[in-house]
Amino acid sequence: MDILLNWLANTPDFAVPYALAALGLIISERSGVLSLGAEGLMLVGALIGVGAQLAFGTTGISLFLAMLTAAVVALLFAMMVIVLRVNQVIAGLALVFFCQGFTSLMGTLLNWTNQALTGIGPLTFGSLTELPVIGRILFNQNIVVYLTIPIFILVALFLNRSTTGLRLRAVGENPQAADAAGLPVGWVRLGAILAGAALMGLAGAYLSVYSTKLWVAGMTGGRGWIAVGLVIFARWSPWRALLGAVLFGCIEALIPQLAAAGVKLPQYFVLMTPYAVTLAVMVWVAMAKSGIDAEPGALGEAYVREERR
Amino acid sequence: MPELAPAMSPTPQDTILEINAPEPAVVERAKPPFVPLASRRFTVEIRQQMSWPWQALILGIAILAGLAISAAILIAAGVSAKDLLNEFIVQTFFDKQNFLAVLFQAAPMIMIGLAASIAFRARFWNLGLEGQMIWGAIAATAVSFYEVGPEATRLPLMFIAAFATGLLWALGPALLKLKLEVNEIISTLMLNYLASNFLLHLVYGSWKDTKDNFPHSPEFRAFERLPEFLPGISSAILLAVVVAFIVWWFVDISRAGLYLRFVNNNPRMADAVGVPVRRMTLSAVLISGALAGVAGFVVAAGQEGRLTQSFYIGYGFSGILIAFLARNNPLAASVVAILIAALFITGRSLQVFYQIPFSMVQLIQAIIVVCVASSDFFIRHRLRPVAAKGG
Amino acid sequence: MPVALQLTGIRKTFDGFVALDNASFSAQWGEVHALLGENGAGKSSLMNIAAGLYAPEAGQMLVDDNLVRLSGPSAAARYHIGMVHQHFKLVRPFTVAENILLGNPLSREDGGFRSKLKRMEEAIRTLAGELGFEIDPGKRTATLSVAEQQRCEILKVLLAGAKILILDEPTAVLTDQESERLLSTVQQLARRGSAVVLVTHKMADVKTYADRVTVMRGGKTIQTVDPKQTPAAELVRLTVGEAIAQPKRAAGTPGEVRLAVRELKSASGARVVLSGVNLDVRAGEIYGLAGVGGNGQGELAAAIMGLPGVLDGTMQLEGLGDLKAASTAARREMQIATIPADRYGLALSGGLSVAENFGIGQVHAGRYGSFWKLSRSKMESEAKEAVKAFDVQGVRSIRQKAALLSGGNAQKLVISREFSKSPRLVLAHSPSRGLDVRASAEVHTRLLAARDAGAAVLLISEDLDEVMSLADRIGVMVRGRIVAEFPQPADRQAIGQAMVDHA
Repeated sequence: MDILLNWLANTPDFAVPYALAALGLIISERSGVLSLGAEGLMLVGALIGVGAQLAFGTTGISLFLAMLTAAVVALLFAMMVIVLRVNQVIAGLALVFFCQGFTSLMGTLLNWTNQALTGIGPLTFGSLTELPVIGRILFNQNIVVYLTIPIFILVALFLNRSTTGLRLRAVGENPQAADAAGLPVGWVRLGAILAGAALMGLAGAYLSVYSTKLWVAGMTGGRGWIAVGLVIFARWSPWRALLGAVLFGCIEALIPQLAAAGVKLPQYFVLMTPYAVTLAVMVWVAMAKSGIDAEPGALGEAYVREERR
Repeated sequence: MPELAPAMSPTPQDTILEINAPEPAVVERAKPPFVPLASRRFTVEIRQQMSWPWQALILGIAILAGLAISAAILIAAGVSAKDLLNEFIVQTFFDKQNFLAVLFQAAPMIMIGLAASIAFRARFWNLGLEGQMIWGAIAATAVSFYEVGPEATRLPLMFIAAFATGLLWALGPALLKLKLEVNEIISTLMLNYLASNFLLHLVYGSWKDTKDNFPHSPEFRAFERLPEFLPGISSAILLAVVVAFIVWWFVDISRAGLYLRFVNNNPRMADAVGVPVRRMTLSAVLISGALAGVAGFVVAAGQEGRLTQSFYIGYGFSGILIAFLARNNPLAASVVAILIAALFITGRSLQVFYQIPFSMVQLIQAIIVVCVASSDFFIRHRLRPVAAKGG
Repeated sequence: MPVALQLTGIRKTFDGFVALDNASFSAQWGEVHALLGENGAGKSSLMNIAAGLYAPEAGQMLVDDNLVRLSGPSAAARYHIGMVHQHFKLVRPFTVAENILLGNPLSREDGGFRSKLKRMEEAIRTLAGELGFEIDPGKRTATLSVAEQQRCEILKVLLAGAKILILDEPTAVLTDQESERLLSTVQQLARRGSAVVLVTHKMADVKTYADRVTVMRGGKTIQTVDPKQTPAAELVRLTVGEAIAQPKRAAGTPGEVRLAVRELKSASGARVVLSGVNLDVRAGEIYGLAGVGGNGQGELAAAIMGLPGVLDGTMQLEGLGDLKAASTAARREMQIATIPADRYGLALSGGLSVAENFGIGQVHAGRYGSFWKLSRSKMESEAKEAVKAFDVQGVRSIRQKAALLSGGNAQKLVISREFSKSPRLVLAHSPSRGLDVRASAEVHTRLLAARDAGAAVLLISEDLDEVMSLADRIGVMVRGRIVAEFPQPADRQAIGQAMVDHA
């Protein structure tokens, strides 16, 4: 019973990075930009989160700086895909490896590696937290966990119920039509990339500042890639992505609980689980593909106004 | 409530009044914002006009720019500029010891570069090169570990095992893409993580060397290692040259090479015209996996002499970089691979002498990719001024 | 009458190709002004400049006598210029109202999204009513018919405040009846004071509905005349430059049935596309399939070509069995020649050389070497001969990229490849789309020659003129089946009626 409780209580902590990263990807991809750089941007957010926390000690500032830096790094990516019309897959891969190398280098040079953060803990709500069972699950999480839901609501409303959201979706579905309607395709995509990057940076910062409370090179361990897969099988809908993130959170949270329960599983096979599950879900979704294609019509294509032929 | 529809019967007077907005402010507009101006200036695409010499020049400038930026970062990180030039550039090529090391490193690099470029030619983003390499090395090690076959055939058997397992590890994603349209970027990457974890499982587990209890397999026996065919030069490089020739034949001389070109350029059209697209794609991906497996064999039986836990790190992106710079051309890829091998050797020196983490190599590679990818813009597009203001 | 829109001295090039050379145009308020010219004359490019999508290298533009420089489509909209393009610019998953709201000034006002959408829907219903047609603003544009989508486009520009309305080849995708409705509607708009520019290559539309016509040829403006005073022959001369001999259509001598299609059905998701096609094409005849696009022609062509798609029914090729089982390569061996509508998507690989595009037709048969070695020299020399024989212009080097060829020459290259082995069956889908009169005539000559050599030719085209001039028998395709067949000489009215009756 205790195991179950721990499992459920820890799930949000593991789910949040996936959720926020996926949401950032959705914003970017709905505007037609294939954003493979999630893994890299999460690392940037993670590094800066820890660095800022070590320097300033205030989580608010750390998270903000992490988001800002991720957006600045994404500017390079935006420049490449919007202005220079570089192939979006190449640009995304280059971004990831750039961030991996850069964060590793910076972490070592600035001596931020393996420095444990202190004084960060979950929020408590007095007597609510004391409640049996649900107290620990619902009323004893980190602030970012609580903020995730309103963030999702805001983004979902923005995408589907606002004029700017309409514009963003138009740019992603049919940039020719958007351009003819007078929308500045390049600027809209830039905005989407930056907003998405900020969320991915936040996801990474959560991971390092709240979850593990330290920085190690490469600590995201493929979560960015899993988020990319998540977005595909959530069919670019924020709520389905949240569901998927919770699923992954459940799986990851289960692993330490099984060990605690004394279940003997080969260590490295257990570590394979998130990746195997991602693969399995992608295959399952591909097999069950329905008629309506939710993929943004112009995903991955650069837009040039004077294209002939 | 503002007028949504124009008054449907405007008199000529009305229309003149409505459109005669204040002249100067409207006509002599302020400079249009950056993006529309940019998208107006450029005409698009397919410019055969850019001849090879010009393309090579732009490519060269981009690479130099990338290296310059990397050098700047290194200097900022504490490496002295003089050292950088002397030791790491001059020494790497002109010092015999270093040169041999570069050549040694080049063998698996060439194979990985070829593996990447052949898959890319079929429009398949094979990001699973590291996983295929890992399995190649595991298979070769298995042959050694379980002492399969007599001494004389051991090495060739290791080679075949590596070839086959690399190929098989690429089969899954290939079929998933062809039959179910599963995105190969994610599927190959996920398989990488599965492979690397399995490797750890082996070297920390049943295959751990009991002699020193380190996470690596027992050493290969002498006849299980790639021999030298000239003093100081491993036969690995010979193998790489042979493989390069075979790939060049496949891509430039054989009929399949033409098919592959059509698949690369427009798969739909290729199918319509009778090219066996699926067969070609599958073949290309399987060859890619096999080559990566062989690269794993070369590292295990050539450089390391055993199965280690992180031998594959950095090869994945290196392969992509090589294929990208060489534009998927096998001979160019071989040359670029040698340069990347030099980069690896330099990286190790930096690690030893300046404590700069090996991921600096990855950073330099990424910077070069960014510079080259950006320079492509000037090869594909042309800048042209628009009509002068006021006509 | 004051001038609504005026363009003078316009020059525009695309990567070396001169599209507009000192072109000029002027339209007055309250008139329907046709811009007439064949494909490639520069009419669309000129109007794209007027609509702010392209920027000219030289020249001036005046709107209502004010000098103007457009930075983009929204600037054009501010000057009350609206263009309805040949390829609709609609976001398919959006509703009609959402599409129209997208570029409309209303979207820039303060206020809730929902309320703006409601107001937009209201305005749409009102305007549509005034113009005399029905439209449901809540429907997704992907579910609308082509004519309805076009009306959506027109409403879009009118609601954005357009008083200068430019229509680019509006009747290309409509039946005769729908065209009539559309053109009388725009005539109505002109009578109420707007300026309407009608870009077209159809002489008949010009004569019936235009007040003035400006003829363009080769990027230059030739002359502006009154179509009601000018004889048709004179208009043709201005458009084309000189008389083009139309190939004499001698009747074919049909033999046995070469292709027998029975109950061919296919579906795309839940949508039934081909609902049981039955037709016979005989050797030595041209069977012309008429009908506006969207009725399954593309899917029928795809089925015969061998492109992926779920199929039921049979396509028997005389003596060789059902085509359904044959791969695209096998069909090539059966001497089936195809000229697809999508030239650069299906027929040619733009990034590969002319020689390669030619040679790929027979590479599998082993003509240019074996699996081990491709014989490039043989391929190139045969390609050179074919280029000469089929009069493909613009080939400076046989190794140049195929994308550099102009539309007409690209099509001739395709034909040179497809006809290199006397074909048994020819599928020609919109073969002269985008070609000028001269190139079209050349293509038609080739098709007739193939027919006379004994091939069975299936011609699918939305251009009724083309079908009527070439075909020995004409079939009408509506909603995925053949609804009527007419022998030649066929009654154009009857054909048009057949298209409408079953719509």
